[in-house]
Amino acid sequence: MKKSFIIILMMVLMSAASFAAGQKETKSANVRFWYHFDNPESAVTPLVQKFEKENPGIKITPESIAWGAYNQKLLTAIAAGSPPDVSQVKLWWQPQLIEMGALTPLDDYINNWSGKNDIYDNVWKLTRYKDGKQYLMPLQMVILYMYYRADIFKEMGLVPAKTRAEFLTLARKLTRDTNGDGKIDQYGFGIRGARGGHDWWGTFVLSSGARFFLPGGSSGLITPEAIAANQWYIDLYRKYKVSPPTTPNDGFKEIIANMKSGKTAMTIHHIGSSKTMEAALGDKISAAPVPKGTERYWTSFGDEENGVFSASKYKDAAFKWVAFLATAKNNAVWQKASGQVSVNKSNGETSEAKSNRFLKATIDSADFAHVLPALPQTAEFVESVWPTTMQRAFNGEISSKEMMEIFAKLFSGK
Amino acid sequence: MNSKKLLFPYVLVTPAVIITVLIVFIPIIETSIMSLFNYVIWKPKDYKFIFLSNYIKVLKDPVFWISLKNTAIWVTGTVSLQLILGFVTAMLLNRDFWWRGIARSLILIPWVTPSVITALMWRWMYDGNSGVINDLLVRVGILKEYFPWLANNSTALGSVMVALMWQGFPFFSIMILAGLQAIPDSLYEAAEVDGATPLQRFTMITLPMLIPILFTSILLRIIWVANSMDVIYVMTGGGPGYSTYTLPLYSFIKAYKFMDFGYASTLAIFLTLFLVAVVAGYVVKVLKSQGSME
Repeated sequence: MKKSFIIILMMVLMSAASFAAGQKETKSANVRFWYHFDNPESAVTPLVQKFEKENPGIKITPESIAWGAYNQKLLTAIAAGSPPDVSQVKLWWQPQLIEMGALTPLDDYINNWSGKNDIYDNVWKLTRYKDGKQYLMPLQMVILYMYYRADIFKEMGLVPAKTRAEFLTLARKLTRDTNGDGKIDQYGFGIRGARGGHDWWGTFVLSSGARFFLPGGSSGLITPEAIAANQWYIDLYRKYKVSPPTTPNDGFKEIIANMKSGKTAMTIHHIGSSKTMEAALGDKISAAPVPKGTERYWTSFGDEENGVFSASKYKDAAFKWVAFLATAKNNAVWQKASGQVSVNKSNGETSEAKSNRFLKATIDSADFAHVLPALPQTAEFVESVWPTTMQRAFNGEISSKEMMEIFAKLFSGK
Repeated sequence: MNSKKLLFPYVLVTPAVIITVLIVFIPIIETSIMSLFNYVIWKPKDYKFIFLSNYIKVLKDPVFWISLKNTAIWVTGTVSLQLILGFVTAMLLNRDFWWRGIARSLILIPWVTPSVITALMWRWMYDGNSGVINDLLVRVGILKEYFPWLANNSTALGSVMVALMWQGFPFFSIMILAGLQAIPDSLYEAAEVDGATPLQRFTMITLPMLIPILFTSILLRIIWVANSMDVIYVMTGGGPGYSTYTLPLYSFIKAYKFMDFGYASTLAIFLTLFLVAVVAGYVVKVLKSQGSME
């Protein structure tokens, strides 16, 4: 009697426990979110708290991932079958992620989302994949512009260059010995020769005759015009010596530090670094759109989106989170910490936004901002092939033609 | 009773064997298998068995040969520099002076400093715009202006080697110092009575007595330095161009920048084979020379 009572009691308890577990699985979702912030003063915690309050039953587990290893960590996590539910991604990662079948198309969700029309139309256009589907939810954007030392320009009676030719004249004038010891201590232009410098290169090479692909599909990187444009860029360092001798290895930290210390008078970057530049230099730093090449303007559209992974068990909850981050008020909080530009039209219309000179340079550049080809090879180009090849050309190991042939071969897929 | 006694050593050694199999042998076998596959992480549809294609591709790859040459320079140069500096330091530390105890502790600082810190520290010291090395060289008149040590392809590898020499020489110092202290004073006293000069005492007593320690230390350092890539990665990332690419770094870049794990595994296998060949050659040579001395 006692024995059977215990058995019945255990069965009741077990069924109650399993019912509770089932309830928990359907009602609560734990969304793992990977992100990165250059600025340690991250906005993630208050946004997560706000979201969880508005959406009971959904828990966000944010994980900050170091930017240097972000791409490799994400790809290996996908290959190992344990990606996060949502991750911040770059547009040029999209082809590889789609090749791996890792992303969920968000079209159905977005079509039913009330905030859709508040995202810039061009952002939707640039982030849509070539198969016509929308896999990524816009999060933030930047457009690269030219930083210049306004105090030095004023002292020398100079104005920002409008064309490539003017730019070279300007950079040469700004490369000078400022203290009369016979040595150059100020360089006209800070070139990023290490990883990430393809945006600097694109500004002058892809605007002056080079294209990744010609209309027929053949490479536009090995035409005589493209090779000449690339030679012009190499010459900035090798022949005209308008950038510091450390150029081949200079990365983000170096180009920003050189601007702050007055070692360089111009460089290219985006609004993300404007806070730190302004903190160090105040009114002495300003920005303008990049100069026009021999053919057209070209500057880089820098972006970040959120992707929802197909392996996620909580896609609905994951979409709610990415939509929350792309909603004007929340996106403004995010951008305050990231220092980048909101993807929402309504955030761009505030008076604060209109009076900011860095934002003005960003908006003035919006019409000619471009993205790199939506191909799987683009990630290799950015991560490894471009920096290695550019450094070899800067050090005279290979010619302009050989350099462009390496790029053309990579993009031909052979 | 006897059989229990016989089994006891095997019981003791079993945990170590199991751990070695799990963390060394299984990954080696897995790497060998992976090297026979086309395994690019972001191309799951192209994953297939390609037998020795990766090996043939490696032998035709100019970057592999550049990396191999750099690895040879890197290992020979760094180990030699560490040995020379370590030897000199050990001889000095073996002398009697009042702060010898403190000096022996201080010498360990580079050895206990984490590699990433060492690399960052040297990177900033070499900095072409504000580095202390440039500053000193300009001040004493050796250089007219700052030089981009790590951005120039003819100085980058040598500069990184100097950083690793600094980090690794204490190992030689401590090992050689231990060896020096084990040499009985009576040998030197006898030699002195026989009228041996300091140089003769060094070549006829000190060096021969240190050979077993030098042999082990050099062998260990060759293996460590050949496999080490963290300092290079942080200081130059392999650049400029391929000028500081070594085989482990190239394998790492192929794996984590190109996500090509098949090709990276093949490079790792080549590195292992070369290392085994070098170490085996070194062991045979030293054993032979020891045999001829006896």
